[in-house]
Amino acid sequence: MRVAKKPGLNSGGFLLPVFRNRVAFEVARGIKAFLNLEAGVTRDGTPEAGPENIGASTGVRRLGWRLTGRGPAVDGSAAANGAQAGRVRPENMIWIFGSGRSGSTWLRSMMSDMERHRVWEEPMVGQLFGVFHKQAQEGQLKSANFILGEPTRKGWIKSIRNFVLDGAFYANPRIKPDDYLVIKEPNGSTGAPLLMQALPESRMILLVRDPRDVAASVLDGARKGSWLYERKDKGKWRENALADTNPEAVTRRRANMYMTQVGNARDAFNAHKGPKVLVRYEELRADTLATMKRIYSELGLPAGENELARVVEKHSWENIPEENKGEGKFYRKATPGGWREDLTPKQAGIVEKITAPLLEEFYPA
Amino acid sequence: MPVYRQNVLFEVARGIKAFLNFEAGLTRGPAPGEGDGPGLAEARRRLEAKNRQIAQLEEKLRKGRSGAAVGDLKPENVVWMFGTARVGSTWLGSMMDEPTGHTMWHEPLIGALFGGFYYGRGAHRGGKHGILGGPADKRSRAIRAFILASAHEKFPEVKGDGYLIVKEPNGSNGAPLLAQALPESRMIFLVRDPRDVVSSNLSGKSEGGWTAEAFKRGRRKGAPPPTDPQAIVRQGAKKYLEFIGRSKEAFDAHQGPKILVRYEELRADTLGTMKRIYSELGMKVDEGEVARAVEKHSWENIPEENKGEGKFYRKATPGGWSEDLTPEQVEVVEEITAPLLKEFYPEKQPSRTGV
Repeated sequence: MRVAKKPGLNSGGFLLPVFRNRVAFEVARGIKAFLNLEAGVTRDGTPEAGPENIGASTGVRRLGWRLTGRGPAVDGSAAANGAQAGRVRPENMIWIFGSGRSGSTWLRSMMSDMERHRVWEEPMVGQLFGVFHKQAQEGQLKSANFILGEPTRKGWIKSIRNFVLDGAFYANPRIKPDDYLVIKEPNGSTGAPLLMQALPESRMILLVRDPRDVAASVLDGARKGSWLYERKDKGKWRENALADTNPEAVTRRRANMYMTQVGNARDAFNAHKGPKVLVRYEELRADTLATMKRIYSELGLPAGENELARVVEKHSWENIPEENKGEGKFYRKATPGGWREDLTPKQAGIVEKITAPLLEEFYPA
Repeated sequence: MPVYRQNVLFEVARGIKAFLNFEAGLTRGPAPGEGDGPGLAEARRRLEAKNRQIAQLEEKLRKGRSGAAVGDLKPENVVWMFGTARVGSTWLGSMMDEPTGHTMWHEPLIGALFGGFYYGRGAHRGGKHGILGGPADKRSRAIRAFILASAHEKFPEVKGDGYLIVKEPNGSNGAPLLAQALPESRMIFLVRDPRDVVSSNLSGKSEGGWTAEAFKRGRRKGAPPPTDPQAIVRQGAKKYLEFIGRSKEAFDAHQGPKILVRYEELRADTLGTMKRIYSELGMKVDEGEVARAVEKHSWENIPEENKGEGKFYRKATPGGWSEDLTPEQVEVVEEITAPLLKEFYPEKQPSRTGV
């Protein structure tokens, strides 16, 4: 019988106490029974039982991470040519896809207050690749020369992966290896299928809301003097806003956008093999804490009940100052079904017709 | 053989985790971890292997940092061809594709991908969270990696002294971003009189023209081109201003080898201009191969049935606009492209001035 003890494993650059005990003895000719026990504290990962990790060099692992873009890089710098990623772990990325005006800011706010959560706020990387890909001509997509041509899809998906990991690190240089990165990307949902294919191990939240409420919210915001109108002071947005003069046109445009964004996000969700959860805004409003628990459970994310309760309470509708809420403001009414008061029958009909497949799927009558 | 394994992990303080790994079972060979790992000789062997691995990874990292290569493509051997459509880039590209070791990347539209977003849709470019926002050096590093990785995936055969000529007139709206990302790359800025460009554009988009037909046959999606000639002219002139303007911005700022080529010079003395291009860009090329490429792709060698009004190869006659455009159309082009016309064609003052 042999016994080995190895206290003081160097854990990620810090000497932290580790107890290790190994026992092996022969129970029959050529057959051994063994018992390995290992316990301790660590800063950057957990030694798994088995000899392979005893021999694994931290230096090798770190260099490997930096070169492959997998796992945490440790020196705080993405490589100069960006071919490899920085510290962001793909499996710790949590994408929020769906559509604007679906409660993504609220959900992101709650998640951002969770322990070891950071936020990448609307990078629009989904729009960068998704809209370009969607607008490509058929001939271009068939061409191996085209940067996003189908014949070389495998290659450019890999390039998108590295590009996103680089961008995530550049935008969040202080992120730690074990941190989670919540990526609020409702307006980049057109590119959700490409992003999820590029980062299949990442986590995904598909946040949907009744398209009629989404349209009502946008119409309200786009009216002269409202928050969206005031924010969009560049280009021809205001000229084209038309919310006051031609609300049906705005409604139609918004419904089409909903179809593209939520439709693509739904496609990505269905194809995604990593952890994922479908959340309806209406559920989140009706029972926020329970829905948050479900999100964390289905995504396999650690979360204490008290911590969840705390963030839910902090960001509750009731805790938003009254002067920041109401018609024409970013925080409007948060009332599912409010579209019945806000949209004309004609406007509601436009939305229902355009978004019929998604309405039927997510909000069956 | 049966093995039971259990790993437990929980956080005891911020960033500090406690763990317990338990493993038990039966085995035929040595037990996992038995004898405190392998013997001394085996441990030394493994250590040496790890050291070799570290050295290899460090070498890779070093190469990446110096920008030497993603794959074997040298960034300095990337040759951009910027400008706009209908300036002769297909012709120039065909000739440059001929010499041994020179490879053409035909219209990848990388510039359209990044430029269209950054300069066009990129309302978020100002913020540090925006994917193309934040400091320019970080944006450039990410774009650089994307370009080199994509080029390597598509052209793994281009290595060593090989050149990758990227014909990118329709991606020239992103030329500054691409040039910043690859400052050591080579650049050709190909310009042509905007009136001839718009005239060619008008011919293609008019009823029966090659562009209009492509839309008709469903080979192109999106909004079809306007049918009103005046609208086509205005649209063409605005595109010229944007694309040639961005190309000029990139050209002026570029520190790597670069050359400005006028289509008219290329038509007047093709071989002489080609030699000048290779010379000023410092590209190694066999003169005999260049001469053969010039001959092979000469206007005279394009079959007659492929040339003419409404076709991709139209007339290749500098100054042909004076026959093709109405005075009103000329005025529109000259007005919209005035700064560029003045800079690149100072000898051809706006016709309406009568100079």
